[in-house]
Amino acid sequence: MGKIWVVVRREFVERVRTKWFIISTVLGPVLMFAFIAVPLIMARRGAEERKVGVVDATSTGFGQRLAETLDQALPIQATWLPTSVDQIETAADSLVGLIGLKSIDGFVIVTDEAVDDGKAEYRGANVTSPRDMQILSNLVEEAVFTERLGRAGVDAALVRQARIPLQFRTLKVAGARTTTSSGEGSFILAYVIWLLLYMGILLYGVNVMGSVVEEKSSRIVEVLISSLRPFELLAGKIVGVGGVGLFQFAIWGVFGAVMVDRRELVFRLLGESIPGGEMPALPEVPLGTVIVFLLFFLLGYFLYAAMFAAVGAMTGSEAEARQAANVVVMLLVLPSVLMIGILNDPDGRMAVTLSLVPFTSPIAMPVRWAAAEVPAGELASSLGFLALALAAVTWVAGRIYRVGILMYGKRPGLGELVRWVRTA
Amino acid sequence: MTADTVVALQGVTKRFAAHTAVKQLTLAVPRGSIYGLLGPNGAGKTTTIRMIMNILVPDEGTISLFGTRSDGRALSSRIGYLPEERGLYRKMKVGDLLVFLAETKGMDRQAARREAKRWLEQLGLGAWEQQKLDALSKGMQQKVQFISTVMHGPALVILDEPFASLDPVNTQVMKDTVVTLARAGTTILFSTHIMEHAEKLCDAICIIARGEKVVDGRLADIKRNHGGRHVIVAVERGVEAERVLKDRTLVAKADEYGQYAELELADGAAPHRILEALVRAGAQVTRFEVAEPTLHKIFIDKVGPDAATAPADTGGARG
Repeated sequence: MGKIWVVVRREFVERVRTKWFIISTVLGPVLMFAFIAVPLIMARRGAEERKVGVVDATSTGFGQRLAETLDQALPIQATWLPTSVDQIETAADSLVGLIGLKSIDGFVIVTDEAVDDGKAEYRGANVTSPRDMQILSNLVEEAVFTERLGRAGVDAALVRQARIPLQFRTLKVAGARTTTSSGEGSFILAYVIWLLLYMGILLYGVNVMGSVVEEKSSRIVEVLISSLRPFELLAGKIVGVGGVGLFQFAIWGVFGAVMVDRRELVFRLLGESIPGGEMPALPEVPLGTVIVFLLFFLLGYFLYAAMFAAVGAMTGSEAEARQAANVVVMLLVLPSVLMIGILNDPDGRMAVTLSLVPFTSPIAMPVRWAAAEVPAGELASSLGFLALALAAVTWVAGRIYRVGILMYGKRPGLGELVRWVRTA
Repeated sequence: MTADTVVALQGVTKRFAAHTAVKQLTLAVPRGSIYGLLGPNGAGKTTTIRMIMNILVPDEGTISLFGTRSDGRALSSRIGYLPEERGLYRKMKVGDLLVFLAETKGMDRQAARREAKRWLEQLGLGAWEQQKLDALSKGMQQKVQFISTVMHGPALVILDEPFASLDPVNTQVMKDTVVTLARAGTTILFSTHIMEHAEKLCDAICIIARGEKVVDGRLADIKRNHGGRHVIVAVERGVEAERVLKDRTLVAKADEYGQYAELELADGAAPHRILEALVRAGAQVTRFEVAEPTLHKIFIDKVGPDAATAPADTGGARG
């Protein structure tokens, strides 16, 4: 045990001292901050008024009423441009020039087809902004709707009243009580959990592999193995590198907590007025979620680190190891690719299966946990399967490691690997 | 096996998939000796040493260290091991690396720090303690590696091809340190295929070829036993003498050097028989000497020129 601790300390201290660690620790929150701040800033920019022309080729005056509707809407300044059907392209050409000069953002073309068949067209520089297009198409649709009802003799005021949109608030129920987390908040939490697990397991697992390869290719491993049992060396390495991961998470956690605590200051620094003078509701992060996250991170990391170590031991160079590690990485990518599916239906067959199978459960289970209620029995069996798989994989990987670290030359085939495991 | 045997191998055999690397090897390293494990490349030296260190497990036979069957790792505080393949963490500071390696051998952290300083000073690397290994020249790295092998004060030092790829200055440092350690009572076991090194340093040797022991024992005894095969004679030239020297039942080979000839005895012949024959033939003998053969000569005689010039190794798991 004493010797494992010596290895743990070396791995931890040497790694925490590297530029890589310092940069990634500082850059992590900066990136996280950017993820949050950039959409906010973009949204603010998006709140600027859009200048839109309405090319009106209707015979009913609908275009003029549409221009009024658009102009009344907050973020749009609309100009009515009456023309006739055969002059549309001429008008369009000159407007395209104005878009080039940034005098306007775009223009809507309406003909009688708009009301009769529900067809209208928008050309502009901002068509790739989903937010702009959503607002615009909603407004045009509203105008068409009002026009049609008006033609059928319905009072315009009645139509407006009928169209008051519904504010749909979603709150997550967890542990038989309603939380303050919105549905969107839970989604974001699940997303962040996925990102941390995936990146954490992958980066630190690959780190373990790099460390094994370094010791093997520099040949220091033979000195080490003369005074340490291979198990001591491997366990010390995995725990040491994992400790660096937890240390980094802890730094980020503290940083994040401070940011959330001082969020009003942060918003002010961003020059963002707080909507309605009230802070947006933050997703609750219950203690249970933190524990599940850490538990699955640790078990998942141990599982993958053991596999990465075995891959490192059977190859001779970093480049070769990375190539051979693709098989392991694929296992980790699988639940990530299917994550949207898990979040869409957290109790569906796919989500349940992925959160029970040991190689995908380290990511799938915490994500499911954050998104929905997971029965305690499922959590327990998921942990049980994971622990069993961990024991089996460590046993096999340890044997491959033990033989592999002293083997140089050609990469072993599958048959040879089986022999290593049997004879080690 | 006596109480004064530090390393004892009894009928040790190791097989790999394609070949048998070590066959029924039995040897004993006496306490306080400098013991040479000699053999051509691929003879099984490294495999033997790795088995002594319990890095490899023998298929048959037993190995005991300090009279116990404990494995090399349990005894790592008493053993210093320098593998044939050298290597260090290139990104670590020299001092930290030495302390870490000493700790893996069970040395206390403070004591390790102190010893590392002392050894670095002693070998002229005192100013480099806080530098990364990367910044050191190859020769300096070799010294650091050597320090890591001996700084925890082991009673047994095992060196696998210690002189391979050392520069001349470090070769001398290595020899001096080995002799100093041996005088202080440390048992030294080292392997080499360069006979001159073994000849100068060793008290006892074991020659192996193709995984099998050829000869072992005290170097002086081996030379004495082998010496009978070699004779230097100077005679007044004459037909009689010529006839004796060409007698293939007595002389296997005669190297003429003008003033004298070096004779290799034929199988079954003894030095006194040649002298007798020369005298009886009426030759005037001015010099007759039973020569002590060089270790190189013994090696070639025992192993044969084929094995002695075995193909050079190219990495891989080697014997």
